[in-house]
Amino acid sequence: MGRNAAIKRYNARPEGQPVDLFDSVRGRLPVVLELLKSPWIVRGSELVRDEDAPGAKRTAEEVPVTWDGTRRAPVSFTWRGRRYRIDALVQTWAVERRWWDRERRVSRRCFRVLARGGIYDLAFDRLRACWLLIGVAD
Amino acid sequence: MAGFVHLHVHSHFSFQDGAASLEALVARAAELGMPALALTDHQGLSGAIRFYKRALRAGVKPIVGCEITVEAAGTSGEEADLPPEERLRFPAPVGFARARGNGFHLALLAKDIEGYRNLCRLLSRTHVRSGDEPSVVTLRDLERYSGGLIGLSGCTNGEVGSAVLAGVPWRAEAAARRLARCFAPGDFYVELVHTLTPYSPRYVAALVSLAEKLHLPYVATNDVHYVEQADFRLHDVLASAGARMELPGPYDRPNAELYFKPAGEMRRLFADVPGACDATLEIAARCELDLGLGELHFPHVEVPRGETPYSVLTKLSWRGLEERYRPMTPEAVQRLQHELSVIDRLGFSEYFLVVRDIVDFAKSHGIRCSGRGSAGDSIVTYALGITDADPIRHGLLFERFLNPNRRQMPDIDVDFDSARRDEVIDYIYRRFGSDHVAMVATVATMTSRSAVRTVARAMGMPIEHVNALSRHLPWVGARRIREVLSDYPECAHHPLRDESRYGMLLDLVERLDGCPMHLGTHLGGFIITREPIDSWTPLQWAAKGVVVSQYDKDDVEALGLVKMDILGLRMHSAISDAVRLARERADTDAVPEPFDLVPDDPKVYETIAAADTVGMFQLESSGQRNLTTRLRSSTFEDVIAQISLFRPGPLEAEMIAPFIRRRHGLEPVVVPHPSMGEVLRDSYGVIIYQEQVLQVAKAVAGFDLAEADSLRRAMTKDRSREEMEAIHAHFVERAVGLGVEREVAEEVFRQLEGFAAYGFCKAHAACFAVVSYASAWLRTYFLAEFSAAILNHEPMGFYSPRVVLDDARRHGVRVLPPHVNHSRGDFTVEDDGKALRVGLDYLLHMPGKLPPLIADEAARRPFDDLADFLRRTRCDADAAESLIRVGALDGLGVTELGRPPTRDEMLALLPELKAVLAREGVAGDSTLVLAPARTRPREDAHVSGWSEPRRLSEELQRLGLAVACHPLDLAYDDLVRRGVTFAKDLPSLPDGSFVRVVGLRERAQTPRTRSGRRTCFLTMEDATGLLDATVFEDVLRHSGEVIVKHRCYLVEGTLQNNPERGLAIVARRVEPYVIRASGSDRVRLRRAVGQAPLGPFRGGAGAAEEESWDEAEDLAVSRDP
Repeated sequence: MGRNAAIKRYNARPEGQPVDLFDSVRGRLPVVLELLKSPWIVRGSELVRDEDAPGAKRTAEEVPVTWDGTRRAPVSFTWRGRRYRIDALVQTWAVERRWWDRERRVSRRCFRVLARGGIYDLAFDRLRACWLLIGVAD
Repeated sequence: MAGFVHLHVHSHFSFQDGAASLEALVARAAELGMPALALTDHQGLSGAIRFYKRALRAGVKPIVGCEITVEAAGTSGEEADLPPEERLRFPAPVGFARARGNGFHLALLAKDIEGYRNLCRLLSRTHVRSGDEPSVVTLRDLERYSGGLIGLSGCTNGEVGSAVLAGVPWRAEAAARRLARCFAPGDFYVELVHTLTPYSPRYVAALVSLAEKLHLPYVATNDVHYVEQADFRLHDVLASAGARMELPGPYDRPNAELYFKPAGEMRRLFADVPGACDATLEIAARCELDLGLGELHFPHVEVPRGETPYSVLTKLSWRGLEERYRPMTPEAVQRLQHELSVIDRLGFSEYFLVVRDIVDFAKSHGIRCSGRGSAGDSIVTYALGITDADPIRHGLLFERFLNPNRRQMPDIDVDFDSARRDEVIDYIYRRFGSDHVAMVATVATMTSRSAVRTVARAMGMPIEHVNALSRHLPWVGARRIREVLSDYPECAHHPLRDESRYGMLLDLVERLDGCPMHLGTHLGGFIITREPIDSWTPLQWAAKGVVVSQYDKDDVEALGLVKMDILGLRMHSAISDAVRLARERADTDAVPEPFDLVPDDPKVYETIAAADTVGMFQLESSGQRNLTTRLRSSTFEDVIAQISLFRPGPLEAEMIAPFIRRRHGLEPVVVPHPSMGEVLRDSYGVIIYQEQVLQVAKAVAGFDLAEADSLRRAMTKDRSREEMEAIHAHFVERAVGLGVEREVAEEVFRQLEGFAAYGFCKAHAACFAVVSYASAWLRTYFLAEFSAAILNHEPMGFYSPRVVLDDARRHGVRVLPPHVNHSRGDFTVEDDGKALRVGLDYLLHMPGKLPPLIADEAARRPFDDLADFLRRTRCDADAAESLIRVGALDGLGVTELGRPPTRDEMLALLPELKAVLAREGVAGDSTLVLAPARTRPREDAHVSGWSEPRRLSEELQRLGLAVACHPLDLAYDDLVRRGVTFAKDLPSLPDGSFVRVVGLRERAQTPRTRSGRRTCFLTMEDATGLLDATVFEDVLRHSGEVIVKHRCYLVEGTLQNNPERGLAIVARRVEPYVIRASGSDRVRLRRAVGQAPLGPFRGGAGAAEEESWDEAEDLAVSRDP
């Protein structure tokens, strides 16, 4: 089946399931992940280019994160008193900006994760050695 | 499949878009166990050959490639014709100077030698096509020269990648289709780069979809720009500097992921498309480039029908030998036969014929030239007229030049009259064809000063701040910047010492040490090839307007191409001019032409031995003058020794002291073996020359000369302890086998080992000595002509024009001021060799065309006054002001007061006169009467109306010369009052005397010393002669800043005046000295800054000074009692 196998394999009209597209969270997850990575779908939050725009749901809150050193990925985080178990790691990226300016320098490793049905951007700030929740999207 | 090969890699040779050194790249690839590595620098192959050699040595397969800029492939029309949402923005221009291109990126890799040659042709065609067009490859050329090449669609700056990022899928598809058509099926890959940005996964997925749709293979790369992740800062700085922008620079990269990632990391990034990583290995396997290093490729030489290059060379050599040796000697015959047979065996006949052809052209057109270097060891080059030192008479050994056991490209360097070198270059292009000749490049690298400027500018500091930070930094490697700042006295108050403020800047500067900055053009290196040159090397336009190879001399040598050094030697120009002037004045028999002198005139050697050598080739520096007083040269052999001894090697090995002591019988000549004594008789048992190493090995251990040369080479290059032990054992065994005692053999080897690395090539010294003798002869018999010729070809030699002129004056030659009615552009000799007239070319703000025009007009009719001068020459205001200020119009015209106008009056009149002349045009009233403006009262009875210090200051400022008198003549009373000793009196004072001297700085040198301590050799000049002072580290610590910031010093110290050490002052105190005539203005010693982009065209020590130094001098004035 090649790439996007989960999407191609998915039976969108199973018998006896008139309302929901997906029968369970487990069945939905691989399809969502492939959709998120696909080049032909653009997420609404990404259309807002300016990081500080109010509609982008950007934040920079320090949050506790549990890290799995073997998989090199976060396992869970706690936000506003609620624990979020991470269902899937969607994507990672790195940010190194304005290194010459001590005041405004940014050095982060970012993780876009799927947790509790939402997409969250976590970042490990290498300068302050702490975890931040930098985005709550979709 | 596991593993990965980086196929898209930029090094320093991407010129300011790469922060990786080749050494680090190759070492990292080897360390990570990568089987191959590609190099794809922007727009060229400048680093390719050294990369190729280094990778082979490290056991990594080199893949030679390049990232070109290519025109748009996805649209047939102009970008501007597309709707705005479908237009793509070009990436920032890349490449250096006139090879800079503004187009989409595309990486090319050479599969084989055909691919390499096509890459060279493609680059050459693109860069050389038109001087003004940007260097962008056309699709047509790409299609034509894609044989043997693999194409990668490029990074995010490729058209395909740019279109995907911009959300224009049709454009990406069209571009990929069109580009793929340019290559053979299967040779075009869609390049996937995952740079760990939020859009990277989608970017990769889109490209994979595209590739699958078009049935194109895809491959993963990391677009490597630096080896370690931490070096991304360096890359940002270089990119910003290259684009002349502040940080973050033209790319504004979001992160630091373009580093040399290990295979595992790359495979993790491309976990969804493992085939992309597998493709890197497949491509690496397909690339099998063999450049055939070690083979030699000579240019084509036409020979008459029935002849071979060897037969022609033989005939020419025998003919030349007959002319050189009269009568012919059996030794010469035997030597020529031997050399010719070796040349034939090594296949070098064509090379000798090429060199001889060029030299023959020069000589037949009266262009003075001379061979130099080890080529002087050959009797063939001597017979062909390429070199002028007799190899038999001077004991020069052919094997030092051409070792029959090693087939290496011979290297014959020839110096030509620099004023006429262009004629020789023209001939080379005509003779061999412009498509077979190119100049060799040089790679300019960062020093501490340039690195500071680069980083400071990237950090957005204003230019005044950048200047303040880079000023007064010595010319040392950037790696040593912190050491220099903490240890060097001249940096005691340097702003960069503020670590808290500039710590990051200094970190970056240190990392930029040795980083290539740009390509330059070699002074005289030419490549001449049999095949069209663009099949061997990529070419581009140099700033000088000549076509230059992207390779430097080492690369050219590695490729086995013939490189000829057509060097310009200003001394040849000066000798030619001096001979012409001397023949104009004196009997032509007294000055023969051709100027081939027999070096046996005792009067010439007397001049040399008296250290009266200003202007003499290779014999004039302060070190040489000191040496000559100790050596007391009296023969040509002494001159050869003198040239050889004052070199870094012999100085470091401290050969001079034993040589001189033995020469004067102060210590016995002791050698470990009698046969060594015979060989080293001329140098009193000291091994000075490389040729002597060969002779000793032959005499003591029975080596033949070729073996002995191999031994010398082995001893001089870096070798391991084991290798050295093997050489040692071999030498001793051979010597013992010949009956030499083991202890003696051990001692001989110890001496050879000690001196082999430091010895100087005698042939080189002998070739130079011929020129030195010619200059010494001219100086001895035709001083005025010689000085004029030297001054007309400045900058050259050790001294500034001011010192050359002062020296002539000290020897009784009168110095006549510049004058519009008498001067020409050049210095001229007047009064039967007793006077020198200053030329107008030296004057600040003097346009090149004006002096000949002035001379022509003055020859027609002398100028009457300022108005007449301005009307007839249309001289601009700046030049006229300069002429007035140096007195070139003194005495012209009469004012109402019945006397010539003063300089102040002329300067006041100048704007009005210019305005009137501009209105009336050329044909105006011949008598122009204007009421002069009010001016300052006369300062002096001199016709100029100016005081002596003021006149002198103007001369120094505008001419860089002291015409009226030596500046210190004005301060004579003060010097006497202070008890100053003059230079002429020093030789008569006893060794160890305390002396106080005052002199103008001529040179301040701080060469590397064996102990590692800093010692400054200060050369100064007073009105009576030159002064040499040695400033050791403890004194330098206090006075370093004074030496750097001032021009005239009062030095106190102990006089050293003995045959062993020569004449010098060991300084205890160095203070600034301000020259002032009694009760008058001070003399300003600075030369003004010209308007031309490169400052005053007469460079050297008379060059412009920085403003801050004026401030320093002002400070000294305020302190002066």
